[in-house]
Amino acid sequence: MVQVTIDPLSRIEGHYRVNTEVSGEGVITDAQSNALVFRGFERFLQKQDPRDAALLTQRICGVCPVCHSISAANALDELFGVAGEIPKDALVVRNIHQGLNYIASHAAHIYVLWGPDLANPAYHDILMQQGDLGNAVWGELSGRFMPVVNQFDGIRLPPGSSYLGAVMELRRLHDAISLIGGKMPHAVLQHVGGVVYSPTVADIQQLASYVSKTVNFVEAFTLGVSPDTWIENTYRASSPQKAVDFVIGHLQDLLDKSLTNNDFSHSSGWGDVSLFAAFGSELIGEKLLGLPVSMKMDRAGVYPDPAKIGFLSYGVFFKPEKGDGYDPASPADGRVIPSGYMNGSLKLEKFDHQKISESINHSFYIDEKKDRPPWNGVTVPEENPEEIDYTRGSESRYSWAKAPNYNGIPCEVGPLARLMIMGEPLTTGLVKAFQDNGYSPVNNYTRMIARMQEVLVVIPELRKWILQDLEAGAKVAVHTDLSMAKDSEGMGLWEAPRGALGHWVATGSDSMVTLYQAVVPSTWNLAPRNSKGIAGPVEQALIGTKISAAENALGVDYSNPLGILHTVRSYDPCLACAVHTLDRTGKHPAYAIKVV
Amino acid sequence: MKMDRRTFIKAVGVLGASLFLQAYKSDLVKALELSETKVLWLHGVECTGCTVSMLDGGSPDIVELLRVLNLKLLFQDVLMMQQGIFVDGKPANTSELNSDILLEEILDNEKGYVLISEGGVPNGPAGSGRYMVIGGKTYKETYEKAAKNASVIIAIGQCATHSGVNAAESEIKELLDHRGIAFTMEDSSKGIVNLLGINTPVININGCPAHPDWVFLTISAVVLGKIKVPDDLPYLLDEWKRPKIFFPPDHVIHDNCPRRGYYDHGELDLTVGGGKCLWKLGCKGPYSHADCATRHWNAHLSFCPQAGSPCIGCVEPGFPDSTRPFFVEIEDSGLVGTHLHTVAGVAIGGALLAAGAHAVRRTVLKKPEEKEGYAEESVSEKAEGEK
Repeated sequence: MVQVTIDPLSRIEGHYRVNTEVSGEGVITDAQSNALVFRGFERFLQKQDPRDAALLTQRICGVCPVCHSISAANALDELFGVAGEIPKDALVVRNIHQGLNYIASHAAHIYVLWGPDLANPAYHDILMQQGDLGNAVWGELSGRFMPVVNQFDGIRLPPGSSYLGAVMELRRLHDAISLIGGKMPHAVLQHVGGVVYSPTVADIQQLASYVSKTVNFVEAFTLGVSPDTWIENTYRASSPQKAVDFVIGHLQDLLDKSLTNNDFSHSSGWGDVSLFAAFGSELIGEKLLGLPVSMKMDRAGVYPDPAKIGFLSYGVFFKPEKGDGYDPASPADGRVIPSGYMNGSLKLEKFDHQKISESINHSFYIDEKKDRPPWNGVTVPEENPEEIDYTRGSESRYSWAKAPNYNGIPCEVGPLARLMIMGEPLTTGLVKAFQDNGYSPVNNYTRMIARMQEVLVVIPELRKWILQDLEAGAKVAVHTDLSMAKDSEGMGLWEAPRGALGHWVATGSDSMVTLYQAVVPSTWNLAPRNSKGIAGPVEQALIGTKISAAENALGVDYSNPLGILHTVRSYDPCLACAVHTLDRTGKHPAYAIKVV
Repeated sequence: MKMDRRTFIKAVGVLGASLFLQAYKSDLVKALELSETKVLWLHGVECTGCTVSMLDGGSPDIVELLRVLNLKLLFQDVLMMQQGIFVDGKPANTSELNSDILLEEILDNEKGYVLISEGGVPNGPAGSGRYMVIGGKTYKETYEKAAKNASVIIAIGQCATHSGVNAAESEIKELLDHRGIAFTMEDSSKGIVNLLGINTPVININGCPAHPDWVFLTISAVVLGKIKVPDDLPYLLDEWKRPKIFFPPDHVIHDNCPRRGYYDHGELDLTVGGGKCLWKLGCKGPYSHADCATRHWNAHLSFCPQAGSPCIGCVEPGFPDSTRPFFVEIEDSGLVGTHLHTVAGVAIGGALLAAGAHAVRRTVLKKPEEKEGYAEESVSEKAEGEK
């Protein structure tokens, strides 16, 4: 047995370690997910004016600040008793703000954080065995996805074309957010009662222009076909099968043209998604399209036992058709991408926020109770430096992240969970195709395709919010007064780009904060073991995954553990979010969130 | 075009960043002949928002900056191929794939690089630094080595400059003991360099996040030798080690706010979502020293008060404690004269006494509740007898 440790995992937000036990055959047999930094965030909201939360909590994360500010604003809406009156246009502005950030955050993940692993030298070695085709594909991978800081055989290669293009789009989308939100990161748009800025007619046209330029990038780089054609045939396809057929047909057409001349460039129609869709999967690339080689990502990052995992979405994006106000409990029909829970066998159930709890058995916190609901959480950090040890194995305490559960089960959150729960045709069809062909429906490949597809789900909605739903100069806030927050509580359920995000807040008789708590996506995904000893989602997904590139295609190389890198990064980890702290006193059962 | 230091510094402040690159093209072309400058970029306790903000820099953008100034970015957690890899507890592979080996090689062999510090340095619990352990070492230990051998430290963002939200008041603040680089909040004795006895000069680029222009133009000036480190720093930086050109001691955001006219007329919003002065909603623009109102953010499009939010003073040393509650008028929150800089207090006093602002003074000193009830819509107050 060999111990392979990644410490730190770079190209994520924050600082993270993962330790694995690997067999002589190169298969991971055990894993511990370690969050490495204790920052102590929500604690400084105690005894403070709750209205500051929308601006302060977004400083948990500079990659996804928008979702924190909206979750906080949602929680404050309920706290102040105004959730039912928030003007429709304020809800539309929240959608636009979040929609722009979804595309930016997904682009950042796909291209800047995750993409560079496609230019890992192991793929060079594998592809070089495939003659001209392999040579051409490696040229595309390294030419598109190489990061700024690299060293390849002693030479620093230029950053990839898609990588740099994506950075430019990230900037453009942040410019768009700044136009209505003052600046980005840490835009100042969200506030209890609505938003602080009412976009003008001019702003609306400018927003539309930014989005249309980003759509151009998606066409030229990401898809290689018109996004509208893609959307029409996938997101709006009449059945999941038709969506899958369209994508396979598209890849087949590209391949028919390219196999003779080995041209896999952008200009020959090979968008980044197409390249990944064909060469990323054994089932689609090798078995369906007849490629001689693939990265076999559909074999890695799977859950061995469906009884120990679930998939969760709190629901995101308000429905403008419903007019003013919204239900903070996020019922199944309340949001454009709906709330829901799917069990490990992909059976859909209604979401009930009361089933959420957090365990601390394997975390560096001290509490006599091992499981608590977030609205009654306690966080007393370990104070003895000797105890902060990440190397004592699966039975020990080994992370600053807690372990959230839904009905006692760890859950994967993020685009794949959301789109499966939504029944998005392409995602649903792909998941079924893998299942029907003896693969695990959830794997590194479907996880990444879902993230790419979600960009295409958001684009048409975003255009609709900007051009149809948003009324220029409309009322975007209801008046609130601090006294309205007296002895109250609020819950803000939302979806960060990387998954389910909840903020909980309670106040005392002076309207000041008595409890503030956030349960965030990376705490779900990167959780350590829970109180029953069930491994967290990433830990489960690592167990059984092969350590080296393409299912150990070139044998076992412990020193280049791409199996770990792909799997963990496929969840889009955000550590600043994952490690957080809450009310130390925990003396406020009276403020438990009301049943809604 | 040649220029002396004084002209250069002035130009950096006056010109937009893209114009700056245009105007000094010949200097920049010459830079290509200059030897490579190495840059080490480390992340402590932070949110990565400053890295994102730097990626949002448009003119120059980060890639252009590296190329034109001939910078070699040695290490950057978010933008690099490498990660830490251990096999049976021993570093594996080479510096081409292993970030721990890469960092060790840098710390052992390199000297005189520019150190960009993003995020603070945890000192807790009990001085051990073990609230942040990376690659088996505390960040405090790594940072000490990195800071010692740097020619200059550029601390970017409030977590690095003053510890920012990491050091905000809470029951566990002392236990956490997160430190800024040269200051923790207003206290320079608590900066991590002071604690570790490191003498490397520090330039602070405040803000939550830092503005990419502030950072990139400062780096440009240092690399081109337009700011000589350390000789020029005493008169180019203010008492908080911020370049005065971006954080002018005699100028606050309020001075050039696009909503300033409403302030002068006494038209003050009482609910968010309106278009008038945000004074009553707690704006700290009159106390915040930065060029946000003239430079603007993200492609120079907007900034907080323009977009309807009160300034929350994120560039000030005591942020967030010195400026929260964010939505309470300064006079009501009792903050004046405690944490906030007295020069700013004088500035606002001056503004109030200025000709044409007498009416405002009468208005702002009157509680809005005494005048009329809150309305649902954005309400403006008109000074009595003004219209």
